[in-house]
Amino acid sequence: MNRYSIWAMEFAEVPDYHLSGLIYGAHNQGYRRLPYCYVVIKGQGRVAMIDVGYNHKAYGEVLANTYGVRNWRPPREVLAECGLAPEDVSTVFITHAHFDHMGNLEDFPNATFYIQERELSKWVWAMSLERRFRWLMLGIDPADLLRAVDLARQGRLVCVNGDREDALPGIDLRAAFDTHTWASMYVTVRNDLAANSGNTWVFAGDLIYAAENLRGADADDPFYVPVGLATGSQVNLIMTAEDMIKAAQGDPNRVIAVHEDRLGSMFPSRTTSANLKITELALAEGEPSRVG
Amino acid sequence: MQPLHKIDDETAAYILETRRQFEDLRQVAAQLAGFLVLNASGADTASPDHPMLASAAELYRDAAEGVQCARPSRRALLHHRFLLEASADLGAALTAARNGLRVDPVLLPLRRAYRHLQDAACELPGFEMVSFQHACCAARRAPDRAPQENRI
Repeated sequence: MNRYSIWAMEFAEVPDYHLSGLIYGAHNQGYRRLPYCYVVIKGQGRVAMIDVGYNHKAYGEVLANTYGVRNWRPPREVLAECGLAPEDVSTVFITHAHFDHMGNLEDFPNATFYIQERELSKWVWAMSLERRFRWLMLGIDPADLLRAVDLARQGRLVCVNGDREDALPGIDLRAAFDTHTWASMYVTVRNDLAANSGNTWVFAGDLIYAAENLRGADADDPFYVPVGLATGSQVNLIMTAEDMIKAAQGDPNRVIAVHEDRLGSMFPSRTTSANLKITELALAEGEPSRVG
Repeated sequence: MQPLHKIDDETAAYILETRRQFEDLRQVAAQLAGFLVLNASGADTASPDHPMLASAAELYRDAAEGVQCARPSRRALLHHRFLLEASADLGAALTAARNGLRVDPVLLPLRRAYRHLQDAACELPGFEMVSFQHACCAARRAPDRAPQENRI
């Protein structure tokens, strides 16, 4: 029996993102739709999210005009598709500090945010380097750090050092140091709350962009291929992929990549009036389907 | 915001002249914000002699001087005013940070400076608050080219 309902909810998209950004070395192999997505977890009397998207007021025009990001919708509109509001969210797990995952902290006024401490401290270290090292700062918004200051002062920022079991019942945080970023983390949901769960979902953040990162080009003879962008090590990304597959009882379909366009065809889903997908990964008892 | 190709030559020269200063001021703001995060989360290293503050002060000195010396066109006057105000507030935030560990005296001018930088970014093209180039999930698509140009 599922203890949590889980949805992956698109809030924006890039219609044609180059494949080499998603899959290491896939140069000149064309483009693919890249959804921007966060995950909503509801159950046990609470609502949690994995990542919060970005703030359209701050970035929308630049992203739309220069980088082809389309169709951004605010959390209030997106969450309403599941009968929720941003105020309902009490816990947010930030997988890493990039703008499209951490860039909308202020829209969740009642949430406590979990992030790896090293993710913040290493960004701060990178900021102290000279100008020629500025590649290390790409995708980071100083405004997010200012908001993090406020959260810390309000006691709403929890800096995690490494793994944490049961951050919420059945929900574990797993550090992946020096991978996509300095200290990305993935989130596992043991949806039966059992210690040795047979019903685990793994939410990969940007440690995985697409199914090919877990199986290469040949699903019958799979091999790991890292994502197309990493601050850390490709080796660490591959070893983390193995850890995630193991956590998902060996089932790659249970390792959820939020930028995977085909998620909606792998699980029950629907397209909203805003032309964005909601994918329903699990339903807790008594929860009505939001995609039926 | 006016598209870049509709900007007059004098303003374009101003944009090229001040882009570096804008980026440096943005970096100083990021460094100060990072320092405050360390401070607010109770890190032991967040002291007034943190090396990042020295780095921020050095960067600030050059950027502030550059902003003072910039020659704005009529079209760029407002933009330049935003940069001057951002520069003044960042100077105040830096001084406060080096004088002690209290957050508010740093945070208040820092927030003002950030808003001025945002205003500047909205006023003229070519100034971005977040550098998205090569950032994951927001890659700039190259303009379409004739097939022969793609051959190696």
